Amino acid sequence: MFELAAIGTAFANLADPFTILMLVLGLILGLVIGILPGLGPPIAIALALPFTFYMEPVPSLVLLLAIYNAAIYGGSISAVAVGIPGTGAAIATVMDGNAMFKQGRGGEALGLSLTGSVIGGLVSVVCLAFIAPLLAQVAIKFGPREFLAISIFGLVVVVRVAGTSMTKGLLMGALGIFLTTWGLDELNGAERYTFGTYHLYEGIPLVPFLVGLFAVSEVLIGAERALEKIRFDHESLVVNLPGAKTLKKLKGNLMRSSLIGTVIGIIPGEGAAVAAFFAYAEEKRRSKHPEKFGTGIPDGVVAPETANNATVGGALIPTLTLGVPGSPAAAVLLGAFLIQGLAPGPTLFEERPDIMFSLFLGLFLINILLLFIGLITIRFAAKLIMVPMTVIVPTVLLLSVTGIYAVSNSIFQVGVLLAAGVLGYVVRKLGYSIAPLSIGFVLGHILENALRQSITIADGSIREFFNTPIGLSIYAALILTILWGPIMDWVKKRNAGKVEDS
Amino acid sequence: MLSQRLANIIFAVLIIAASGWFAWVAQGFEAAGLLAASGLPSRFFPQLLLAGLAICAVLVLVTYIVKGRASEDEPDHLYESPRAALRGLATLVMVICGYVIWQHWSFEAMAVFLGPATLLAMGERNPVIYAVVLALAGGVYLIFTQLLGTQF
Repeated sequence: MFELAAIGTAFANLADPFTILMLVLGLILGLVIGILPGLGPPIAIALALPFTFYMEPVPSLVLLLAIYNAAIYGGSISAVAVGIPGTGAAIATVMDGNAMFKQGRGGEALGLSLTGSVIGGLVSVVCLAFIAPLLAQVAIKFGPREFLAISIFGLVVVVRVAGTSMTKGLLMGALGIFLTTWGLDELNGAERYTFGTYHLYEGIPLVPFLVGLFAVSEVLIGAERALEKIRFDHESLVVNLPGAKTLKKLKGNLMRSSLIGTVIGIIPGEGAAVAAFFAYAEEKRRSKHPEKFGTGIPDGVVAPETANNATVGGALIPTLTLGVPGSPAAAVLLGAFLIQGLAPGPTLFEERPDIMFSLFLGLFLINILLLFIGLITIRFAAKLIMVPMTVIVPTVLLLSVTGIYAVSNSIFQVGVLLAAGVLGYVVRKLGYSIAPLSIGFVLGHILENALRQSITIADGSIREFFNTPIGLSIYAALILTILWGPIMDWVKKRNAGKVEDS
Repeated sequence: MLSQRLANIIFAVLIIAASGWFAWVAQGFEAAGLLAASGLPSRFFPQLLLAGLAICAVLVLVTYIVKGRASEDEPDHLYESPRAALRGLATLVMVICGYVIWQHWSFEAMAVFLGPATLLAMGERNPVIYAVVLALAGGVYLIFTQLLGTQF
């Protein structure tokens, strides 16, 4: 499972000064973008993606992973300081974090969120390093029917959690997959929706589509509230790391939230925000004083912050082993692998174990350095909250179009970026979630090929189509995931009825 | 102000119409040579998805016609205020204009246009912000041309 030669190469890769530089740069960039309200990890990764085109695989992926990690943590700074979550993952942090800030305990809240983020991140990396190679060994045996099952699982779970309407989520998922059918048919070479232009022979390009969908649509929405002013108290922004006594008190919370975050991260679509709320609710449920949650208590900051950073390692498990992204940010990260000519999936562990171990070790180092960089930059970084949206909008727009052109040298791809941005803007205004759209777009090719090959293998027999123990267990897990919520609701209602009767 | 209900009904109708058209186009997909007869036809998967897309759109349409909204927490209107709508849509128009300028003139012309144009669209009046945005645009240009060697 652990090849010593590959681990040695991974250490050598990470000792390279350029990789270290990219790691530090990634942490700073991630912090900055995470702090800016509205710009979350997918946008942060998307904006840096074009720059990785010029780099070797390890420094480029380390840069993006550092951005991913730091952006999730960065969101908590604005959540604590102004009560505006920098990312969706920090929404749960607002309740107690901002309450502590208002009580003059902002430094304590920031210290707790930083410590929780680092511990959550470290635990999830350890899980990633142990689970991913094992899962890859199983996944190497996967055929079209198993990949079909796992793709359907990923997509349905994303649809289920994205937004409030299941039908709208399904519509977006189907639209995302449909857009991948454009271009030459991979199996028989037929032209599909190319509209007479050779630009579309290879289909709609992944990177500009994802950058447009996340970054351009976000800044267009940001433009609507561009002149709103943000005010906050500059005091109370010195980080106070929790002492040994406090950590001892919080150790149960830290471990539970780390595991919740990692497990939720593994499930495709269940992003950092879900993990944060789940961990917060779990700590509140276990607490002897649940009424104190929301009034500014350390447990209310530690739980969501630990869980949301723990989703990073978790989300990378299906991304690296199966090629199925665990979150929208991981979907954009998948684009970075493709830019480097690497196809995430079980074979990558056999072909390039050095890169895999570089990523595991890199993530570990990222979390350690996040503690120090977070401590140093937090005071300065918090002032970024004051950067007006009117500066962010044109700068992000220009960075997006320039970056995409630099990667592709094609004005057509810039057009795809803008078209995807307009599509993202329109559907978000109409109350649709773009998560199923992006995951559908990433999974579309796998899904189509797996479906067509499975039908060919089955040769008209439904029994043969489902004659796959792994596939059947995945379908069973999917049914269980869908039915879990209603079953729990039914059990709760039944128990409540019994209590009333008695 | 355009209501969420009306906007969603229009969108669902457009999706249904577009699904029909794309499904019709898919009827014309033809594979050439020896591979033409192998496996499922190329139109199978897109048409399957388009059918699913149309069914979802019909369900969304029915939901908005009958219930008026898809969920309880959905806002009544598409935009918070007419000003917000103006800012968002004007910025969108400026972005498209920027793309056209790039296509017909040059990247540099687009870069100079995009910042001030979007600021105007957002209603920014502070000249310092204009200067900052232009300076940042210059910085982006220098990074890509000098550091990364991009040729526009």
